[in-house]
Amino acid sequence: MSALEEAIERPEAVRSFAARSPLHGLDRHTVGFADVLAQSVAAIAPAAASAMAVLMVADLAGGATVLVMALATIITFLVARTINQFTRRFAASGSLYTYAARGLGTTAGLATGAAIVVGYAFISVFALLGGAHYATMLVTRLWPQLPATPIALGALAIEAAVLAIVLVRGIRLSSRVALVVELVSVALILLLLIVLLVQIGPIHPAAIFSPDDVSVAGVAGGAVLAITAFVGFESSATLGVEARSPLKNIPRAIVWSVGVAGVFYLIAGYTQIAGADAIGGTTSVALLDELASRFGLSAWAAVADVGIATSGLACAIASTTALTRIVFALARDGVAPAELGRTHRRHRTPVGAIAVAAPPITLVPIAVVAAGVSPWDAMRVILLISASGYIVAYVLVCIAAPLFLRRIGEVTAGSVIVAVSAAAALTGCLTVYLAAEATAGNPGVWLTVGIAVIAAALIRWRRRAPLGEVGRYDEPVAAHVLGGVARSGSAGDGNGSAHGGEPGDADG
Amino acid sequence: MTGGDGVSISARQPTAIHSALSMLEAVAAMGAGVTARQLAEHLGMPRATTYRLLNLLVQDEYLVRTPDLTGFALGTKVALLAGSIAVERVPRAARDVLERTRASARGGIHLVLYRDGRVVIADEDPDFPLSNRLGLQHEPTRYALGLLPLVVRGEVVRGEHVADDLVTELREQGVIRTRDGQRGCLVAPITDASGALAGALSYSGPRRYIDESDSIAVSVLAAARELGPLLT
Repeated sequence: MSALEEAIERPEAVRSFAARSPLHGLDRHTVGFADVLAQSVAAIAPAAASAMAVLMVADLAGGATVLVMALATIITFLVARTINQFTRRFAASGSLYTYAARGLGTTAGLATGAAIVVGYAFISVFALLGGAHYATMLVTRLWPQLPATPIALGALAIEAAVLAIVLVRGIRLSSRVALVVELVSVALILLLLIVLLVQIGPIHPAAIFSPDDVSVAGVAGGAVLAITAFVGFESSATLGVEARSPLKNIPRAIVWSVGVAGVFYLIAGYTQIAGADAIGGTTSVALLDELASRFGLSAWAAVADVGIATSGLACAIASTTALTRIVFALARDGVAPAELGRTHRRHRTPVGAIAVAAPPITLVPIAVVAAGVSPWDAMRVILLISASGYIVAYVLVCIAAPLFLRRIGEVTAGSVIVAVSAAAALTGCLTVYLAAEATAGNPGVWLTVGIAVIAAALIRWRRRAPLGEVGRYDEPVAAHVLGGVARSGSAGDGNGSAHGGEPGDADG
Repeated sequence: MTGGDGVSISARQPTAIHSALSMLEAVAAMGAGVTARQLAEHLGMPRATTYRLLNLLVQDEYLVRTPDLTGFALGTKVALLAGSIAVERVPRAARDVLERTRASARGGIHLVLYRDGRVVIADEDPDFPLSNRLGLQHEPTRYALGLLPLVVRGEVVRGEHVADDLVTELREQGVIRTRDGQRGCLVAPITDASGALAGALSYSGPRRYIDESDSIAVSVLAAARELGPLLT
């Protein structure tokens, strides 16, 4: 009899596993691959990002826009590969925070947590503003006599209500709505792009790559903005507890969403740059709209606006979903107050975290618009803060990965090269971008510095009191181990192994 | 358990399957907690290949990582490899009995058969599925359905799960009951014409239904008696 048959026939008792996971309370292993993919896709919001980010990239990178888009795709892919070193090995809801804590220790973990929370929070605000911006544009196009500000406020209020309901009801609802919205918007925009491409016809290659007006700062800054078009791809990792077969489905969702978004952005970038060149080199707040009306496709563009507006809302939902899972993980690790780790008894959603995260995220954009600030101006500042948060978190995770792999004895040369190149490229681009924006007088730089100082002070203050083990993840429970006998002192509450079954007294 | 994932095997993969089985054998031989590096050395496999293979086996839940993430243990899913998932045909008359019993019970009614010392799930309650099918098949003595054959044979093993009072309970009441927290389980034997144990019918649900009234015991017992001639 082989060792394997012997082990199956007469399993030896394995006592190193607990009866239930430290992250119990969420709806475990119920979210399928499509919904996990939807979470990443919605957080990326390719429809909204292709319309907004490409313009911002073109502003900085000029003639190198398409090349910068390709560069950003490659860098993001390296980051995705590195993040997957973690997602393939264990499931967590703290995502980047948990990964950095496991590779670099408590302080770096908390710094990463703060950075990614800033990233998710500000991108949510950005997406709500963007959604309202496009909704307003659409309404004023139909009824030009209406005043813009009240419409924007109304749109924001509706977005806030939808966001709150979907967050409490659970991710399956939110991710499905988000996936449908994204698919429809991306299809609409793709069709519009293809029709535009046909109408524009072949253009001179020099228009797509004209290196004369390209500077290092332009490329680096453009790359940072282009990367912000991808951020959120890692957010499906926050569903580690809730996803079915998470160690298989989450890495797949992360890589696929980056690949699909990359291809889409290259097409969008090419069309918009080629189109701008064809109509005389403008960058406006709604280049896609302008192009469409110039080429006689206004009605279509109006439909695409609906797509972009809903895509903004879907992005806010997905990013806030990710944010609440990280806050939940911080609470379960004992870093944040325990109340933030509370889950809804029926919907099994982290309502404790939702209650603190949702109000500021929905109220800030309303305050911004009510104060009379143009959403577009506010969005540039907010995007800078958000981009800094994401990129700092990515850099820390890329540094953490090789150390984590070495600690568990599974380091390989390839994984180190990928992680180090990603960290170096991100650090370089972010530094150059922030320096250039500071010179250009973008107040977002100083706000970012202020937020970083506050986060550092908070972490220092929190570390003065002793912290237990951080970076807790969704450990396999004894019931999933052949011969598994739960560790004493951690009896299950019926969440994992025993409920509805045929329990004997399991004292061995 | 995964479900609905398509399985596709290309021409190159038989070697990979061989490696995967060797890996499972090695984990079984070296015991829970063995590290990736130890496995690579033991199997003489390149390290990068070993890590990739281990991650795939963990993704598919044949292996699980120990809580500190450095070691590996066999997952309950490897039990599937032993071919323990037998398909049993339950005659229509027996299914009617099950349906009737389920309609009146507030909880799960499951039918199992005992085959060559193994517990085979013949008809699981679709509305209240078993929480741990694999556990029942591979650590049967942790569960009332798995305990019953031992109780019937009177094999009371000291330090094991079978207690004297279960033997008494079976003799006097015709059923055995187990409890765990707020949940409980009641099992009635199904016997063939000669009186030998062939299977069992179980009720699982809230503990108070089992403790506070005899009506569940009466209906499960009656259904089990009716099922005997239909199944054997």
